[in-house]
Amino acid sequence: MKRFASIALTALTGLAASAQSSETMPADTTDYDIFAKELEQVVVTGTRTPKLLKNSPVLTRVISEDDLRKADATNIADLLQTELPGVEFSFSMNQQVSLNMQGFGGNSILFLVDGERLAGETLDNIDYNRLNLADAGKIEIVKGGASSLYGSNAVGGVINIISRDANAPWRVNLNAKVGAHAEQRYGLNASFAGKNVKSTTTFQWAHINSYNMKHAGDFSRFYGGHNYSLRERLSYQPIDRLSLTGRAGYYFRERNSAETSHDRYRDFSAGLKGVYDFNGGHNIEIGYTFDQYDKSSFQTITKSDVRNYSNVQHTVRAIANVALLTDYLLTLGADFSRDYLQSYQFENGGHKSQVTADGFAQLDFTPVKDFHLVAGGRFDFFSEASMKHITANLSMMYRLGRTSLRASYSGGFRAPTLKEMYMAFDMAGIFMIYGNPDLKAESSHNFQASAEYARGNWSAGLGGFCNLVDQRITTAWSQSLKGQVYTNIGRVNIAGLEANVAWRSSLGLGARASYIFTHEHVRHGEPYSASTRPHTATLRFDYSKKWKNYGFSVVLNGRILSAVNVDEFTSATSYEDTERVHYPAYTIWKLSLSQDIYKGISLTLAADNLFNYVPKYYYSNSPATTGITLSAGLSVDLEKLCK
Amino acid sequence: MTGIRNRFLIAVGAVMAMALTSCNGIMSGIYDEPEAEVASGFGFTSAPVGEVPGTIYVDASSYTDWVYLDFHTMRAQVVPIGEPEPESWDIALHRYDAKTNGALVAETGATGFSSPASLYDVSEDDFSADVWTEETIITDMSTMMDGYLSYEPSWYNPVLSKWLDVDKSTMPPIYTLSNHVYLLQLADGSQAAVRLDNYMDSASIKGYLTISYIYPWHK
Repeated sequence: MKRFASIALTALTGLAASAQSSETMPADTTDYDIFAKELEQVVVTGTRTPKLLKNSPVLTRVISEDDLRKADATNIADLLQTELPGVEFSFSMNQQVSLNMQGFGGNSILFLVDGERLAGETLDNIDYNRLNLADAGKIEIVKGGASSLYGSNAVGGVINIISRDANAPWRVNLNAKVGAHAEQRYGLNASFAGKNVKSTTTFQWAHINSYNMKHAGDFSRFYGGHNYSLRERLSYQPIDRLSLTGRAGYYFRERNSAETSHDRYRDFSAGLKGVYDFNGGHNIEIGYTFDQYDKSSFQTITKSDVRNYSNVQHTVRAIANVALLTDYLLTLGADFSRDYLQSYQFENGGHKSQVTADGFAQLDFTPVKDFHLVAGGRFDFFSEASMKHITANLSMMYRLGRTSLRASYSGGFRAPTLKEMYMAFDMAGIFMIYGNPDLKAESSHNFQASAEYARGNWSAGLGGFCNLVDQRITTAWSQSLKGQVYTNIGRVNIAGLEANVAWRSSLGLGARASYIFTHEHVRHGEPYSASTRPHTATLRFDYSKKWKNYGFSVVLNGRILSAVNVDEFTSATSYEDTERVHYPAYTIWKLSLSQDIYKGISLTLAADNLFNYVPKYYYSNSPATTGITLSAGLSVDLEKLCK
Repeated sequence: MTGIRNRFLIAVGAVMAMALTSCNGIMSGIYDEPEAEVASGFGFTSAPVGEVPGTIYVDASSYTDWVYLDFHTMRAQVVPIGEPEPESWDIALHRYDAKTNGALVAETGATGFSSPASLYDVSEDDFSADVWTEETIITDMSTMMDGYLSYEPSWYNPVLSKWLDVDKSTMPPIYTLSNHVYLLQLADGSQAAVRLDNYMDSASIKGYLTISYIYPWHK
């Protein structure tokens, strides 16, 4: 069997690490080559095929299950901010959560769950509460444009949450967490794996009270609420070469945004996927996904629950991997989607729909030893704007001993959404926001270069990136319409440097530091209106020790964000005068102690905001903290308890 | 494995059926329809019967209209700001602002019409007449984008207008109902009792007022 196909297939069965390590690890690899071993894990996001991280020309950051445990994060925002510098979640209008990742907003970073995109958005951001970490096995992050594989919205990168696979005969985990402001979270994860069938069921319920901030600000009260989700994933392998996976999920969230009305959010998703492996390392995957995301307004007095938003997406997909010559893998794929949107932001609460279609091809090959290349291109079509778009990418990696050198170019684009094309929304009688059917697609050219070194218990990396974004879509005041109108603006250039270093001893001590410098270029004489903080860093120190019947782990996570000065327009109707607003620097630290106290039972105690940071004024990008908070979590693995 | 195969076939069938029949979604049955309340209309939608209050439902969402209410005739009338008042009216509403036709208003301790009788007790000193205001009745929010608001000088009853507090210090504003019952000493000597139950329609569009009332009030 061709070597490339062998890697892909072995990776699919989860045995890649052990199968390949003896072949590719340097001769002097020792038991303490901790970071070199981490490169043996399989990633899929950068190329849409299983690939060993050390051989992937597409730089992929992996948040492992161990990282997930050490972060003790309550949600995806908490996790990403703990793990990655350059990531900031803040509030936009009406306390809706908004992402900034190295200068890119929520509508430019594509979030996937097991490779599937999510329906629905609020103020350009998906509902991050849908991303349930209880079921996550790992998270892969590919920065820079990835539209040649994933199409629209991947202008600034892709974050793929990959569910934990059911490998054990059976596993039942019950977990609970309580914290400040009456925060509670209860979860159940149950899975079993038979000879040719696997099932994973996940349920989670969470609640937090509303609470007031300690000082004045852009927001004075955090809106509490509750949410729950239920997911089922069932895999069946009728014959060795064919695997079928069906999944379904329901999600509900209620946000107590006002005394008399609450915001409700619901999602129902389902999908079917079949993968058939041919002789010679070829395979084909065909799938269908359905995702419906609704918003409604629930009145606490009348108990009426009226829907005001519904986004329904149907997608059919086919991907084929064809092993050509030795070390050549060709990936061909196509998607066909229907996107339906009914919204209170349309005239008379109306609806619009469109179909999108695409085809893509990618060649993954190793022309000479230790030199890996991936090249691909994609064509996208959007019916409503009659828009056609082509993107391309080229990534290469050269391994020089223990050093991996990577360089890549990737194209990104974002087609105007139905909302941006057809919005007609009265903003509380203050002004109108109008869509624009003539919008052009945003496009980006992204360049990255990096060097990574791993030896013994050390690893270090250094990289640079440059993103040239053209035709960015935003709103601007139209004097003739007396309102805001979606429009394309000129070029936005974002560049930066990234550095990270990690160390771990065989005695259980570990440390990690990551830093990113981000700069948005502004032409001379123009106001600096970018709100991206230039310097951000994350740090982690941990110590673990395990005995026969007891183990513990102490983790200190910190994030440091520099101040940023932003020139903000003093009027929304004229872009002549600005005032400089100073958003202060801050740092947040979290200390957690996890103890494995008995067979499968672990207890986690944590102190968040350890140094009691309280903003003097709550800007929209200030953390919604009132100071130090404590939490306690309990997790029970029943299958271990029953042994 | 027959059971597994059957489960899969059922799942495949269910998903295919969903795909074919649910282009625009599947969850519409779980929501309420906003049209239901529109069918009941605006104005005095029900009259009080004994101690059971009647209901007034008002579209006060316009910044450029007053909605005049007459408890005697159970009539609601929309009049653009600047145009003459109706010949007969008792209170008028503009968004959440209220003015009266020469009435006095007092806030009781009752937070509903089923509250104990003692909570309705008010003294003569608790009643307040309308006051003249230059900067309360906003007629044009759109000028906010230019840094100012447009107002209409008008009479205004600050006690009755306490039925809804709008805290504009943060965006979006925080709306808090007082839930209290207000007693109105009308110009003809009769009394009315009113309570603002809601300030939104069922789709949560603000400016739609649901008012419980009893007229004449004899307690």
